[in-house]
Amino acid sequence: MTATPAPSGWEDVVLSVRDLTVSSKERKLIDRLSLDFPPRSLTAVIGPSGCGKTTFVRTLNRMTELTPGLKISGSVLYLGQEIYSREVNPVLVRRRIGMVFQRPTVFPKSIFENAAFGLRLINEDEGAIDRAVTDALQRAGLWDEVKDDLDRPALSLSGGQQQRLCIARALATRPRVILLDEPTSALDPAATQRVESTMQHLKEDHVLILVTHNVGQAARVSDRIAFLHSGRLIEVGPTPEILERPREALTQQFITGRFA
Amino acid sequence: MAAATVRSASPALPPDDVLTRSSGRLRWRTGFDSAIGWLLPLLFVVALYPILELVYYISVQAVPTLSWTVLTSTNPVAVDALGVPIITTFEIMALATAIASGLGALGGIATAEFLPDQAAEVVRASANMLAGAPSVVVGYFGYIAFVLYFGWGLSYIAGVVTLSFFMLPYVFRTVDLAFTSIPRPIREAALGSGAGPSQYVLRVGTPIAFPQILNGIFLAMAIGVGETAPLVLTTTHGVLVPQSIYSPVSFLTALIWSDFDAGKVSGLQVVAFQCAFLLMIVVIALNIVVRVISARYRKRLEGLYQ
Repeated sequence: MTATPAPSGWEDVVLSVRDLTVSSKERKLIDRLSLDFPPRSLTAVIGPSGCGKTTFVRTLNRMTELTPGLKISGSVLYLGQEIYSREVNPVLVRRRIGMVFQRPTVFPKSIFENAAFGLRLINEDEGAIDRAVTDALQRAGLWDEVKDDLDRPALSLSGGQQQRLCIARALATRPRVILLDEPTSALDPAATQRVESTMQHLKEDHVLILVTHNVGQAARVSDRIAFLHSGRLIEVGPTPEILERPREALTQQFITGRFA
Repeated sequence: MAAATVRSASPALPPDDVLTRSSGRLRWRTGFDSAIGWLLPLLFVVALYPILELVYYISVQAVPTLSWTVLTSTNPVAVDALGVPIITTFEIMALATAIASGLGALGGIATAEFLPDQAAEVVRASANMLAGAPSVVVGYFGYIAFVLYFGWGLSYIAGVVTLSFFMLPYVFRTVDLAFTSIPRPIREAALGSGAGPSQYVLRVGTPIAFPQILNGIFLAMAIGVGETAPLVLTTTHGVLVPQSIYSPVSFLTALIWSDFDAGKVSGLQVVAFQCAFLLMIVVIALNIVVRVISARYRKRLEGLYQ
């Protein structure tokens, strides 16, 4: 199954991006980007609209392949395995590297079935699904609100609850990495706060990669910030360092809101 | 008091700030709006009139002559026994709908989800052409392909298959549209949760598309049940409920076709009206079923990725 043997020391790097370039017919969306993601970390990817941050996280679990016409070069190593190698099945990549989208994308099923979606795909037995769903809903911070009516249609939940259900759905298959693409952009402040505290708990066990256009959010939840501009990684470093003493003028301009 | 203040202030206002003045152009526009408001209900009545007239015209001829005996009698020699054509028509519809739904749903799903974009466009264009083909052309296609080339002869099976080809594009188009109109993020969320494309289709796509698929099937039935040419060109007229797939058949549209003109002489024209009345009831019933299904499911899917 594995494409290339895991090199020693992968315990320090779960996901490693090397010289990644993504181009459409017109231009380069991501330009020779290299970045490592250690275990138990929350990296915020920030940058102005159109800087390629969404494209970047979508290449990390091969979602970019669903957009026709994009060319990808360079490499993305998951525990030392090249995810773009020919022998790798994208379905398995996406089971290990989950994703949460800008707006809640619940399916027209019950709350339970939404959370169990990924597990049903791999034919887990009922007992295991029950436990995993309970655990995922607890970790997503939704359990207390829904534990009494798991059979309710998921579409009847509020937007913030739906988004936490999507996080639970991503968690249920126990992925090592969770990609969050502006998960709070469609939520009100109270719901945003709940999702942010969920993310803070999750980084104890997972690698979280959070795309956000909100510097405040990055400051509140992340321990590392990567700043992207025009598809290039301008700088990356611990959150306080990037916010207080950015080395690059572009970063400084962006975080202080004086961006042209 | 307040009103008086406004009135006394208005002459002093700059012309652009006066809200009560109405220029010629603005008056014309308001007039046009209200004319449209009158015209639309009028056009609605104009459109509705022929339908109501048709329903009335057929009903007054047919209803007084219909009785339980006429509807259920399967006597092959009696002229006013509609049991056989009613049963046969339902049988033909059930079989043709099954074939058209199966092929149409599979084709629609394949086109929406699995075919490369350019191939999908070719399939869609072909389906549109098939939908635009006059029923008599489809009838002759069935005659040449199934009756002659496949050697089935003028038969029940040739009629059913030809009719299902006529109904196919309507199912196909609604299924294709139902799947392509599922919001992309929903599809990506399923694939992003580790679903393969076929798991997405079965577990997420189909439940969302289901009401539209049913709609398409009922629409195809409503269109197919009133068709004459695909059947009369591929079958021979019988008086019994079909005994084998090669049997002659008797169905409602054929009786309208044969008895409306000939009936003026033989006195059997009333049979054409009876058949027309029954078909009308079936088509209206199918349309009501479609409405009820869509309304019920629309509620269930409310809020899906608003």
